[in-house]
Amino acid sequence: MSRWIVLSLVIVATLLGATTLTVIGPWSGPEMDKFMPVLQEFEKQTGIKIDYKIYRAEDLANLLPAQFAAKKAPGDVIFMWASFIREYGQKGHILPLTGVINEANYLPGSLNQVKVGKELYGTAYTGKVKPGFWYRKSFFEKNKLQPPTTWEEFIALLEKIKKIPGIKAPIASGDGVGWPLSDVTEHFLITFGGPQLQLDLIEGNIRWDSNIVMNAMTKLTSILEKGYFGEPTEWTLVLKQWWNGDYGLYFMGSWITGMVDNPDDLGVFALPGAKGVVFGADYAFVPKYTQYPEEAKKLIAWLSGPQGQAVQVKQGGHIATAVGIDLSTYPPVDREVAKIIQGVTALDDLDDSIGGEFQPAFWDQLKLLWVQPSRVNDVIKVLQEKAPKR
Amino acid sequence: MKNNSRYVLFFILPAILMLLIFVVYPVARTVILSFLDSDGQFVGFKNYSKVISSREVFDPAGFSRGFPLGALVHNLLWIAIHLPLTIILGLSLSVLLKNVKGGSFIKSIIFLGMVMPMIVGGVMINFIFDRNLGIVNGVLSLFGVQGKTWTAHPDTALLSLIFGSVWLWTGFSVVLYSAGLETIPKDYYEAAQLDGASSWKIFTKITVPLLRPITVVVTTMTLLWELKVFDIVYVATMGGPGGASNVLALQMYTYAFRAFDFNRSAVVAVILTLSTLAVSLSLVRSVRDEQP
Repeated sequence: MSRWIVLSLVIVATLLGATTLTVIGPWSGPEMDKFMPVLQEFEKQTGIKIDYKIYRAEDLANLLPAQFAAKKAPGDVIFMWASFIREYGQKGHILPLTGVINEANYLPGSLNQVKVGKELYGTAYTGKVKPGFWYRKSFFEKNKLQPPTTWEEFIALLEKIKKIPGIKAPIASGDGVGWPLSDVTEHFLITFGGPQLQLDLIEGNIRWDSNIVMNAMTKLTSILEKGYFGEPTEWTLVLKQWWNGDYGLYFMGSWITGMVDNPDDLGVFALPGAKGVVFGADYAFVPKYTQYPEEAKKLIAWLSGPQGQAVQVKQGGHIATAVGIDLSTYPPVDREVAKIIQGVTALDDLDDSIGGEFQPAFWDQLKLLWVQPSRVNDVIKVLQEKAPKR
Repeated sequence: MKNNSRYVLFFILPAILMLLIFVVYPVARTVILSFLDSDGQFVGFKNYSKVISSREVFDPAGFSRGFPLGALVHNLLWIAIHLPLTIILGLSLSVLLKNVKGGSFIKSIIFLGMVMPMIVGGVMINFIFDRNLGIVNGVLSLFGVQGKTWTAHPDTALLSLIFGSVWLWTGFSVVLYSAGLETIPKDYYEAAQLDGASSWKIFTKITVPLLRPITVVVTTMTLLWELKVFDIVYVATMGGPGGASNVLALQMYTYAFRAFDFNRSAVVAVILTLSTLAVSLSLVRSVRDEQP
């Protein structure tokens, strides 16, 4: 009898002694299934157990401030909005990760969102990217088309697509709330104004009616005027129409790979000369009130490092922020996206970063521009009115 | 008697409290807010002049350039087009379908527009006016007219929403007018027919005057709806493109929940409240005058 008691005590002591980290993330269903192998691999390598809990960021935004006020945290590693991490990092509720993560090992710019001064409060896990214009490889092969390498080739490609019988327009225009049009516009701004222009517009350091913005907008309106863009149509509907051959190209984020019947038939190219790309990473942090700060930092380092991210990107649909991941790790369609973003600056989404009154105005004005490109000056005037000012 | 008054007070007190907390206080607070700046300082009518002179609310340049004309003008246009159409269609359909076999069934179908949540109605309007899927372009193509996505263009977006909402709202007037028609004694029609009155004369001299109380209700309710229209616009066009279909209620939402400018939002709320109050008071007065 006493032997059983001793054995039970040993088991209980072992269980109590084992560290179990609680990870809180937004993924459920198939997305969670793709994330779990990353955590399982970490458990295998370190012996640290992980309990994964699903919380939406919107719910965490309500829960965490109250928990922090009580010097508590519901998890040891938490995925959350970058703006939240920055804010609560400065308030002292988040452990700095400055010594844990080496910024040089990341896609340039990808950690900017969780950095305040020199202090790093979070990490950028993998993310989704808005790389450029998607096309069906079979469509290009059938019509003997090639992805362009110069602006002139891009225009020539659009002209060729326009002449294909049955085509409504060379480029499909996604509508709805308005963000598909803003994504295209940002791509033009970044390509013809440089990555710094995107950052300056976010910060309000540059005017919308400045020459550099007008130059990029003129490029965009020039192809709008020629009818190379289709009429704005609900973005999921036009996705089907594009897939069925009504359009040749469609500008969309990398999540498109999960929305088509055959992702292997997808190809993508950025506007020739683009030096930056809008990248939406998933950010994670370690709350100050974790019981296991060292273990949590270890997990953060794993999630941020090439090893952990390689397990994730292998599952498809994610692009790594860490450098040093072999392109062969990616599924073929993601590989093309990863190739595009190599060596370019990862940038925040313009309207998401500014938010407020500017965001709906930006979306709405672009809807107007798309159908009446001659009113570009009216559009710019409104955007300048609504833009952040320094 | 004194005891009775005490009981009355006891029973109506909860209702009065609820009204004070949930109606009177928010209304008063909104009115006060409209006269303050973001720091809580009294600024008189500054917010009002700022809102009314903003291009989102009134854009006179639009009269020469084209849409947008500003949310205020858009609401007025909505009233100018939607109100007469709803009344004329509602009255005509209820009269035409009164003695038709299967008329009730047709009226039920017309009323479906009212049963549908306006959010769904907004989505439906988008489809109706879509270039590829829409019934409007389907009909136009029969006549060889090249279609477009009507809600995507500034010159047709507001009109598309107004005509779409006529379809959604006509069921309301049809039902009220149909009920009103049942209250007109048949003797009046028989007497008029014996006197040799034409159908048109009967309609204009008997039906229309006797349906006046119904017309007052339909007009008032429709006006109130037109003033506060939000859901259809929010779902179908979000007030776009370029503000071409923006309305006051949506502008109030934009000020409050996108710009986080509750003072400007309160101004729009006060303008809307005063407008609806004026319409409601005229209804109350009209109903009171009708009473013997």
